[in-house]
Amino acid sequence: METSRYNYYDVLEVSPHCQQHEITTAYERAKATYAGENPAIYTIFSEHEARELLKLVEEAYQVLGNKTLRSLYDEKVSQVQVKPEDLTYENLKSASKAVVPDLNKKAPSKPEFQPDPEMENLIKKSQDWTGALLKQVREYKKYSLERLSEITKISAYYIHSIEKNDPKNLPASVFVRGYVGQIAKVLGLDEKKVCESYMRSFKSSGN
Amino acid sequence: MATKIWSVGAGKGGVGKTFTVSSLGITLSKLNHNVLLLDLDLSGANLHSTFGLPLTQNNLRKFVSGEKSIKELITLTGIPRVSYVQGFWDNWTPSELNERMITELFSQVRELPFDFVIVDLGAGPSPTYLEVFKRSDERILIGNSEPTTVEKTYRFIETYVCSTLKERVSSEQYLALEKALRDYRWNQGKGYFSFRNFLKTQIGSDLNYSQVFEERPIHFIVNSSRSRLDQDLGFSMKSVCTKYYDFPLNYLGPIDFDNAVWQAVRNCEPVLIEKPFTPIAGQFLSIVKTMTHTNFHSNLYKAVI
Repeated sequence: METSRYNYYDVLEVSPHCQQHEITTAYERAKATYAGENPAIYTIFSEHEARELLKLVEEAYQVLGNKTLRSLYDEKVSQVQVKPEDLTYENLKSASKAVVPDLNKKAPSKPEFQPDPEMENLIKKSQDWTGALLKQVREYKKYSLERLSEITKISAYYIHSIEKNDPKNLPASVFVRGYVGQIAKVLGLDEKKVCESYMRSFKSSGN
Repeated sequence: MATKIWSVGAGKGGVGKTFTVSSLGITLSKLNHNVLLLDLDLSGANLHSTFGLPLTQNNLRKFVSGEKSIKELITLTGIPRVSYVQGFWDNWTPSELNERMITELFSQVRELPFDFVIVDLGAGPSPTYLEVFKRSDERILIGNSEPTTVEKTYRFIETYVCSTLKERVSSEQYLALEKALRDYRWNQGKGYFSFRNFLKTQIGSDLNYSQVFEERPIHFIVNSSRSRLDQDLGFSMKSVCTKYYDFPLNYLGPIDFDNAVWQAVRNCEPVLIEKPFTPIAGQFLSIVKTMTHTNFHSNLYKAVI
């Protein structure tokens, strides 16, 4: 009985060759049968037994209801020597991670920046924010151009142009002001101060 | 085509056996089959009333006493291609049929030029009903969604399972089986109790259990269904039978509750004749098609759904 527990197709009473939607239908029917007060189990299964059966059904559906886990399960079952513990939901799930990397997982974290007293001092004292200085701070805080663009949703091309003080490749100054504010925010700078100072030099250099 | 014998039984009385028998017969006749309905309800004949026909002397008693053959007892119902044989009404005489009579009945019926013979049994698994049920080509159980009916339906299936196994195991094994069934609640370990698994440990797995019943499934109809829940009861009972007995209960589908039924019964006229366009006519058609074109219809159903 312990081994039949892992014959998920038997538990859901479907053929191993059935379509995915048939599994869902079978699961919904089984759930309706063993959860709650269905007259169909009357005098055959006690409440306790129905709960046990429901557990089996849920486990079977956790595996078969997922296409990836189902194909992994099929593969494992067809092997000559298969240990029952390989067929549990948890083990199949961890095995599936080796095949399909988890897309929801975050990208490897960025290299940690090392605080540098000299640089911190410069940031604190600086009254004159130029593109070059922004670039310097960005590199000091270990943000790549792409990463910054990803966070701020500003095109990397614009960020590059801002750092080069290149108004020809940038939109109207009101937008640039917004961009600079966002960049400063991400880099942990004083937004207002950076914006005012940058826009002063930006306007004088461009127009 | 050889004559097919279908028997219609139920665990509980009053769930609509006779109504189903007459409706199945009429539906088959509409599909151009010659049908004989055989009223074998030993507690009193009833089938003639659904057709509005009178009681006569020409009934099954004459067959049991050996005066007449089944062929001579056939009466027309007034519906094209549907004939019937009236059951007993003289219940003061003991009515159980012995095995020799049942054998005789079946061999005579198989000789007749009918495509389908539908046997209307009484309620519950009495020895005669069970024997006829077992020997039929197709077995149909009628139930509804009441817990009392569900309980009695399971008792019927249990009796059918045991009596079929009785012929296939030694008397010692059968005693063990009976004991197992009687004691099972007290032997319950962890998990859920399954008659089938318990049997395996008690008798051993040499018994080719699943093959025996794979060839002898029971079809099931949920009558007077009033909701989606009632409709799905058949699937739930199928699942319970698989898990508990490992027995193939084949759910044919629901027959909805329909006011046309009791109105027609009151008028002593078959529902499908008085109200041919009632929705249940379609449900009977679907059931009959599932029964007569097993593979075709189920595959089509799968493709559509």
